[in-house]
Amino acid sequence: MTKLYPYLAFVKKSFLGLSAYRFNHFMGILNTILRIFIFWEIYRALYGGRTEVDGITITMVATNFILSMGLDSVFFVNDYYLPDRIQNGSIATELLLPVSIHGRMLADNLGHALFQLLFHFVPAVAVSVLFIGIAAPADFSMLLLFLLSALFGYGVLWTISFAAQMLSFWLINVWSIMTIKNVFINVLSGSMIPLWFMPDWMRGVIRFTPFSSIYFTPLQIYLGQLSFSEILHGFLIQFFWIVILLSIGMFLWKKGQKKLVVQGG
Amino acid sequence: MSFIEVNEVSKAFRVSKRSAGIPGMLANLVVPKYEKKQAVDNISFSIEQGEMVGFIGPNGAGKSTTIKMLSGILYPDTGSVRVNGYIPYRQRKEYVGSIGVVFGQKSQLQWDLPVIDSFELLKAIYRVPDEIYQTNLKRFIEMLDMSGFINQPVRQLSLGQRMRADIVAALLHSPRIVFFDEPTIGVDVVGKETIRNFICELNARDKVTMLFTTHDMQDIEKTCKRLIIIDKGAKVYDGFISGIREAYGTTRQVDVEFVEDCTVKPIEHVEIKELDAPGGRKKRFLFESREMQIDSLMSSLLADYAIRDLTVSEPEIEGLIRKIYNGEVAR
Repeated sequence: MTKLYPYLAFVKKSFLGLSAYRFNHFMGILNTILRIFIFWEIYRALYGGRTEVDGITITMVATNFILSMGLDSVFFVNDYYLPDRIQNGSIATELLLPVSIHGRMLADNLGHALFQLLFHFVPAVAVSVLFIGIAAPADFSMLLLFLLSALFGYGVLWTISFAAQMLSFWLINVWSIMTIKNVFINVLSGSMIPLWFMPDWMRGVIRFTPFSSIYFTPLQIYLGQLSFSEILHGFLIQFFWIVILLSIGMFLWKKGQKKLVVQGG
Repeated sequence: MSFIEVNEVSKAFRVSKRSAGIPGMLANLVVPKYEKKQAVDNISFSIEQGEMVGFIGPNGAGKSTTIKMLSGILYPDTGSVRVNGYIPYRQRKEYVGSIGVVFGQKSQLQWDLPVIDSFELLKAIYRVPDEIYQTNLKRFIEMLDMSGFINQPVRQLSLGQRMRADIVAALLHSPRIVFFDEPTIGVDVVGKETIRNFICELNARDKVTMLFTTHDMQDIEKTCKRLIIIDKGAKVYDGFISGIREAYGTTRQVDVEFVEDCTVKPIEHVEIKELDAPGGRKKRFLFESREMQIDSLMSSLLADYAIRDLTVSEPEIEGLIRKIYNGEVAR
């Protein structure tokens, strides 16, 4: 437990640090709410007054938006944590602290995520539920499994970024890579277009990527669309990706550290 | 086995090399060119526990790179480093808890937070017990005269204040070894003196082992007994500061004021410079101590001329170091 103490200090610091930017924060909530409402209106137009297309109800679609965009606001990942520090040379002072770099990065992000959960997710989802409505969770156990699966979903999202950030040892500017990565996540995770509407071949391909296990797996659990064995399968896939991506990230970290050049004296 | 052991360490960087302007940019886009820069070239030295060692060299000599390898930030390409039984870069996480590092050009403090908050964070990170933290903090604040700005945000501090705060930040966990990388850079005379005294006291009372880089020779003369000089990545001197005079300062200088204007006949092995007009009263005699003894010079002068005043001066350390950097003295 005492080993966790330094990391908890980082979580706390990052949590408290956010309260300094209040205006930015309110704009962020507004942004999430607007995005949800815009997508809602688009899909309402597309449904053209019907409540169901191909067995997908509009409530399911709304639930998809509200939960995945809500989770998106909680699932905070700073893609530039390491790249920035490598670029401006402060990686040197970072490495002087007796903590592991991945623990440090995760702690920093978790503090942020926790802040977002309380002060962004809760108000944004509350407003959306009030004005749009959301499907209730299938049952209480599914709600718990949804939360667990969402936690793993964050793990997948975080480890993708973790591995991608390691490339900054070789490339000073990783902006293009991060942008491409985020486009993939937005499209293939189902947060923009629910994966139900993807053609079958596409869904087949997506099944072999880590993206669908970020938001879509938790959402399907929430709606009660998965059987018990499918839920287990979903957890295993999430776990598999976390282990693989973390190993890639750690491998690159070990390699990169040997290549490290501290910029600026 | 010494406390700090650096063994035939080398480190090279790949530097991107590109010619100026748009043609250079386009050429670089198609075929990027890199140049290997040998930052540290086969350096070895060892430091005993409780020693305080000055580590100097011109800009780009490899001082900071060596410090970064010693503090576990960089991996050496070849050779090995051992400090207090640790291999710094392999056992970074365990190792860095036992050392303190001050980078004069990089701050460890949280930019937006008051100084004290940064200290509290470091206390948590290093898991410093409460009573040790309080004792250290109280003592350091007093020694470095910091009570006036401990509650100010770091971004509002002057450079000298920030440097003092950074030094305290590196020492809160009572490290046994401290590396200072230019801790007096950009600090005024009074601030420098405070920092030097603090460093001396820390070494004398707490027996902290220190390695100290700087460009200010006074820092070294006032704090360290031993000096390591490196240049172009290689070690050129390692020994007592006083030994530099013996090793490089072989030129003696005698300024003589004669009673009346005169011309001195040439003396073998001695260079004579006129300090007044040619044939005037003041002259300077320069010679190598191994070629000429001062007493034989004096007796030959006194035999022929009347002398009013004379001063014998030893070369200044700073001047010698400058000569070493310029490659004017044989190594």
